[in-house]
Order: sequence, then structure tokens, then C-alpha cells
Amino acid sequence: MRWGMVINLAKCMRCHGCVAACRIEHFLPLHITWVKLIAYEVDEKGAVDVSTYPVRCNQCSDAPCVHACPTEASHQRDDGIVLIDANKCIGCRYCVIACPYQNRTFFSKDKDPGYFPGYERTRFEKMGEKLYPHVRGTTEKCNFCAERIDAGTARGLKPGVDRDATPACVNTCQARALTFGDLDDPDSNVNQLIRRHDGFQLRTEYGTDPSVWYIDYLHGGNDNKAPREAQTGSHIQHLSSVDRDAYRRIYGREPEDAEVKS
Amino acid sequence: MKAQTRRQWITTHEWMVKPMRQTEWISGQGILVWLAEVFSALGMGTYLVGLLAGIWGITTWAWWTTVVGWVLIVVFKLPLHFAYLGRKRNFWRAIPPFTSAWKTSWFARGMFFSVVFTGAGFVQIMLWYLLHWADLSASAASVVTTLSWIVGIIAGVFILLVGMYCGFAMSYCKGVQFWNTGLLPVVFVLMGLADGFAWTLGVNLVTGSDESVTSTLEWCSRVLLVINALLILGYLVQAYRKHHAAEVAAMDLIKGSTAWVFWVLLVGLGIAAPLILSFVTLAMGSSSSSQAILIVAIVCHTIGAFALKYSVLKVGIYRSVIPGVA
Repeated sequence: MRWGMVINLAKCMRCHGCVAACRIEHFLPLHITWVKLIAYEVDEKGAVDVSTYPVRCNQCSDAPCVHACPTEASHQRDDGIVLIDANKCIGCRYCVIACPYQNRTFFSKDKDPGYFPGYERTRFEKMGEKLYPHVRGTTEKCNFCAERIDAGTARGLKPGVDRDATPACVNTCQARALTFGDLDDPDSNVNQLIRRHDGFQLRTEYGTDPSVWYIDYLHGGNDNKAPREAQTGSHIQHLSSVDRDAYRRIYGREPEDAEVKS
Repeated sequence: MKAQTRRQWITTHEWMVKPMRQTEWISGQGILVWLAEVFSALGMGTYLVGLLAGIWGITTWAWWTTVVGWVLIVVFKLPLHFAYLGRKRNFWRAIPPFTSAWKTSWFARGMFFSVVFTGAGFVQIMLWYLLHWADLSASAASVVTTLSWIVGIIAGVFILLVGMYCGFAMSYCKGVQFWNTGLLPVVFVLMGLADGFAWTLGVNLVTGSDESVTSTLEWCSRVLLVINALLILGYLVQAYRKHHAAEVAAMDLIKGSTAWVFWVLLVGLGIAAPLILSFVTLAMGSSSSSQAILIVAIVCHTIGAFALKYSVLKVGIYRSVIPGVA
């Protein structure tokens, strides 16, 4: 069994829901983010388009961070999830440097000024200190909500199918862009998506074999494109339909009258 | 038009879209790593030169050179590394036998090399002290000589490993293309040796050794400097041809924000100045430089050692994680 995630870039609408869900699930300090969302513009055949990449720890099969860790604090479970044992971590930050995807963060004092710096900690933060304590001086990263998976599977639930055994970001994604499942099962939902939509991993040339896969309408040429309404920049498209300036900025040409409302 | 990043829309994490610098090992508290690595190289070079000099007969200056090398590692390098750790009280977890990560982790290996060298180096220094200054009987001297050879070889091998592991630890980082080459440990070791010769010259000056030793050390140091200059040139050329992120790093060294450190401190003071001083001395018909010139050359060498590690760490630039983006 090897847990994996498929992210459909065509469906992602850049709502940051996964980022927020992760913060709430793990009581993350202000300047720590396990799930990140990259948004950038691409220039495709003269027309500016927008693409997003939600990224998190890739839970690599051959994880450089695990090899680099001098204390074995970073370790890999049998189900492929890479975890950090905060009690063993000495905070050397070699794993932060070694991760080619830059998905690890060193938790220093300045990363935890409180949600409202200068004011008393919120009740949420105080609760987090008890329920999900983060150890300063150690490294942090996404753990695929291992605690949810463990608690769920202990109750006989199936991760990726039953919400209580599925990562918080997958549950919260309103566009259903995230899919979670077993990469070792050829008939699993994730493997079907990877096969059907020509799934790809980030930077395979590193030989790390990430467990996070992507489906991208840009990847594989036009044949793989989602309907325009479903594309990543759909809400930008909406924006452009009400604003001539935005339309020009995004598409690099004057809009037809039918394409704008005002 | 080729699809590539024009500008970012929402700058959520721009360091993953464009080639971005690593900061953990050079900014803020990361300065401690830089300093520790400099002392690794200086300590390795100085101790190794002292040890090699002792093969031809233990002298006062050779003994003091090994002491200086040992102090640079134990008193400067190791405490700086420990000071950098996020959880200092846990440092023992990185040292075998408390971890078996040495099989894959260069950091754990480095800790092991440093600990073994600390012990073996200390014993070697004590044995040399006995051989050079104590009034030993013939049988005792024979035993101590044998022991000093054994311990000396162990200390020599491990100090070389201490000097090398920093380079290997950095070259392991696949995301930083500029570091990800087998040349890096070679550059670090050879530069450390050149600086070690320079520091040995300094020890030689203080302990008042003869001029033949000074000229030999100076000659070795200059030869290594010429080799290093060529090696650094080769390193930059291969980085330039390797990958875009490595090219960006090389160009940053040559004409970017780190250029003044590279050209002025490393190439100018660290390599060119000591060489020019030597050539001037040779042109004046002397086999070795005057004390004042030697002191200037040693200071330049040391500045070069700091500049080399700073510039290499500073241009540790990560490749973008997004496919199709530079």
C-alpha cells in the first residue's frame, strides 16, 4: 500500500481552501504552511493564461530528506508517508536544503508570532498548543494527515473514500480537484485518473518518485484541455467578462462586444 | 511563443516558480554554517600540512601546526555547527552509535568524522609532544613512535574526511544544480590545503623556523593556488553548461550581486594577491618572501577561504519545481 494524491490542475480554482483546511486541521502557526498554492502566468501562443500548482510534501518513494536526515527523525512508513519525529529532530535543516521541491519549513521562533501579533493568543491557538503541539527548532511539512488516516483505518474506514480517513485538504476542496487513494492498487481511483488523464509528477529527473501526481490541461497539448469554463483561470475569465481592461491584460487583445458585459 | 513564466499572478510562493536562493545556510543564523565550513577547511588544511611535515621529523613548528589545526576544528568549527542546531541538546542523536543514518546522511557522517578526529587528533598531538620534548627511554620511544604513526594515520584520514564531507553534503542536494557536482568536494579540499599551507607559514613565522621550510611551504601554497584557480574556472564553465539554475548561479557569481565577493575577495585577494606577492619576491631574486609580505599573503589567503564558502553558499539556487518553467 502506498498512499498518493492526484491534483487536477484544470479543476483547481485557486480558492486556498486546502491551505486553510490544513492550517485548521494541524493548528499551524502563522508563518508555517504545509500546503502551498503557486499561481503564475504563462504565455501560450501569444495569449496570457494563468495556471496554478497546489504543492505539498510529495511523500517521495526515494525521499532525499529521509536520506539526508542525520538522526533518522525523518522516516518513511510502510504506506509511503514521510514523517518527522520532532523528538529526534535536531534542527540541522539539512532536509530543508536537500528537498528539491522545497516543501519543508524550519519552525523558528519568528514563524510563530501569534495569529494577531502583539495580542493575546486566540482560543484556537491555545487549543492547538494542547491538541497538536509544534516543536520549535524542528522541521515541519505535510504528513498527508497521517493521524486521520491512522484513526480512520483503525475504524475500518478507507482513505480517499471515507471522509474521516481522508486528508483534510481533499475533504475541503470544493472543486473536487484533489483525489486521494492507494497508488499500489492498479484499480484505485488515483491510478485510474493518472492513466486516463496522462498524469505526471514534478521533476521526475530527480529520481524521487513523488506520491503526488498532477493532471494538467496544459500538459500533453491541446487534446488534454478541459473545457474553457473548467480551466484554472475560469474566474479570471469571469473577471475579464465584466472588465475591458482586465480582458486586454489577460488575453492581449480587444474583446468582442459579446465577450464583455460592460 | 515558448511557454514560460512572464510574471507571477499571485506571489504566494515565488521561490518555487523561479530559480530561488537557499537561505537556510547563509542568512540569519545560517551564517554560523558558513563560518563552521570555513573553519573546517582551514582546520583540515592546517592539520594535514602539519601532520605531513611531521613525517620527515617532528619539529616544533610541525607540532604547533597540528595543534592550530585541531583547535580550528574542535574550538571553532564544531561549536559553530552545534550553535546552529535548532535543538542543541539533541545533538548526540546525530552521532553514531546513537543513529544509523550515517549509511545515507553526509551530516551524520561528518559528525562521526569530526568526533573521531577530535579524539585521534588529540592523542596524536600528545604523542608528538612526548616524542619531541619528553625524555623517553629507547623502548618507550619505540612504542610511542609506533603509536603515533597509527594514531597519526587515523587522524590524517579523518581530518581529510572532515574537510571533504561539507562538499559532499552540499553536492547531494539535487535541487541546487550549482552544488550538485562531484567537483565541489575537490574544490573545497584543495582550497583548504592551500589555506593550510598559508596558515602553516604563519605558525612557522611565529615559531621561528628556517628559511628553507618557509620557501617550500610558500611554493606548495602557490602551486595549489594556481591549481585552484584553474579548478574554479572549470567549475564555473561546467556549471554554466549544466543547467539553467546552475547557469543563473554562475552568472550571479560573475556579474550578479555576489560578484564583488567573488572577484574582489576570492579571486583578487584570495588567489591573485598571494600569487602576485610571490612573483614579485621571485622577481627580486629571493627564494622566499619577507615576513611582512608573508603576513599579507596569509591574511589574503584567509579572506579567500571565507569568500569561497560564502560565494558558493550564497549562490545555492534552487531549480523551479514547475515543469515548463525555467
